[in-house]
Amino acid sequence: MGGLYLESRLEFLRASQNQDGGWSYFPGKGSWLEPTTYAMLALHGTGSLDTEAALDRAWKLVRSWQLPDGSFRPSGEVKDGTWVTAHAVTLASVRGVDDASVRASVDWLLRVVGAEHNIWTRTGSFLHLIKARLDVSHQGWPWREGNATWIEPTAHTLVALKKVASRYRTAEVQRRVRDGEDLVLSRRCTDGGWNYGTPNMLYFDLPSYPETTALALLGLDGRSDHEYAGALDLAERFRAETKSSLGKAWLQIALRCQGRNVAAPDGPRQSNDIMLASLEALGHPEGNYKLFCAGGRS
Amino acid sequence: MTRRKFALLSGAAVVGAYGSIKLQKVEKPPKLADGPSGQSSVAIIRARSYSDDLVSRMLEGIRQCGLDVRGKRVLLKPNLVEFDPATVINTNASVIAAAVEVFERLGASEVKIGEGPGHRRDTLDMADDARYRATIPNFERIFTDLNRDDVSPVKGFGGEQEFYFPNTVLGADLIVSLAKMKTHHWAGATLSMKNFFGVVPGSVYGWPKNKLHYYGIPESIVALNRQFGRKAFAIVDGVVGMEGNGPIQGIPKPVGVLVMGSDLVAVDSTCCRIMGIDPEKVSYLRMAAGLGHVHPGRIEQRGETIASVETSFALIDDFKDLRLV
Repeated sequence: MGGLYLESRLEFLRASQNQDGGWSYFPGKGSWLEPTTYAMLALHGTGSLDTEAALDRAWKLVRSWQLPDGSFRPSGEVKDGTWVTAHAVTLASVRGVDDASVRASVDWLLRVVGAEHNIWTRTGSFLHLIKARLDVSHQGWPWREGNATWIEPTAHTLVALKKVASRYRTAEVQRRVRDGEDLVLSRRCTDGGWNYGTPNMLYFDLPSYPETTALALLGLDGRSDHEYAGALDLAERFRAETKSSLGKAWLQIALRCQGRNVAAPDGPRQSNDIMLASLEALGHPEGNYKLFCAGGRS
Repeated sequence: MTRRKFALLSGAAVVGAYGSIKLQKVEKPPKLADGPSGQSSVAIIRARSYSDDLVSRMLEGIRQCGLDVRGKRVLLKPNLVEFDPATVINTNASVIAAAVEVFERLGASEVKIGEGPGHRRDTLDMADDARYRATIPNFERIFTDLNRDDVSPVKGFGGEQEFYFPNTVLGADLIVSLAKMKTHHWAGATLSMKNFFGVVPGSVYGWPKNKLHYYGIPESIVALNRQFGRKAFAIVDGVVGMEGNGPIQGIPKPVGVLVMGSDLVAVDSTCCRIMGIDPEKVSYLRMAAGLGHVHPGRIEQRGETIASVETSFALIDDFKDLRLV
């Protein structure tokens, strides 16, 4: 199944797992939660007992990084919880884990709000003291608690919360999801896609990027695409034109989740970037891209 | 309430993060802090194009600054931000390739390249676009994506109990800030000191390194240079700089110089004067005046004179008052 493209990447992931059970960004380095998440999702359900045992070890390591407030540290070295908490919730959901510690993580995600959503900034926006087309009425998610909202952590949190919405604090989860989606929609660039943060700065429009457009579309998955008309076509164009491997990989995943019939990628693995290999494997038509989807289409 | 006070009350970080509220106009303190004792040498070396013999030019500048790199582990830190074929955002690949050769020739025990771009995550693809892989021998072997390097904590940085930096940065004996001569829509100018933003790991602090915006951009520039300035050297790529709405959306500005020195405050002050910017009005340089020299009388200019290479950079409206008069 999957041919050389998929198998070469999965084999690389199997071979590059660290002794502690996690994956690093590049072989030979320490384990981090982000590449561990993508590797685990890519290898999920791919067959052998060895792989299942490897994933169990990885999950054990991930859980060891949870803090008492429910958040997750990005690695064993770092002491503070960050946006990767969303990844841990997604992993838990994929693995069918729904216990008090997962719920503590969901509580943390529901509590965290981008710092721009405060009374001062909203007042400043109302008084036109803010020189950007920035709707600060919506609540998104930051990379770290106390910082401003950005598209990528918001998208990953939307993916995670949609997975738990039917099981825990449903009304609150649905409210944050809806508002987070509204925030993503409000941050669309004039070219129809998404930048990392805001669509303009000072008086200048900012361009959208392939990877952030893909992530925004993942965050919006499940919402009527009438509300972001044209974005999928732009994403298709990005996928055809971009030289960014990371952008292409995220676009493969997002477009498939959004129901687009994207041609299967081919070619051997080009780099030793573990995160990239995982995302490329996930985005293959026979890969696990559905683990990112909100449901319905998948 | 002044606009600045409003911005501070509303959380300056949000402002910095989104580039939304004008807060750069700082009240000018009555007097700049004295720098360290003595003078700092800054070399201005002519390089009219990237096809010039940059190795010889750099060797000349380094000799004039008296830098000894023998036996040192050297980390070259270019400014790789974004790629747009229509402009010149990044440190030119030829400058980096020349620096690798220069520091190897001068006897460094190791020469590496490291960068952690501020908002783009596909570092190696950007390096491809910027022709780093095509131009710099063994690029992939010697390059580290500082956003995704392993990290270790440093105590007391920026008022934090612990702040994390990439092990590649912490392990270097000498960090060479291979910056680009550009205007910057928040800091006024981005030169060798601001270039240190790229050593803050995205894997911990996100893309961009939003924590720094909250701490304050000038404050962060100073804190990073307090942390690493003692083991730093600067080579600013002013062969072709960027004016106007830098650091990404500005337009190319040929100047034809490389500016070098061990005192990064003095290097940036010199670059500002070349660009027609008054360094004493640039908030991060005012704040950094205790770390190095801003006053022209304390900077020993070597190579070309400022007057002979001065090239007035266009400034966005928010920074018109930085103009050197």
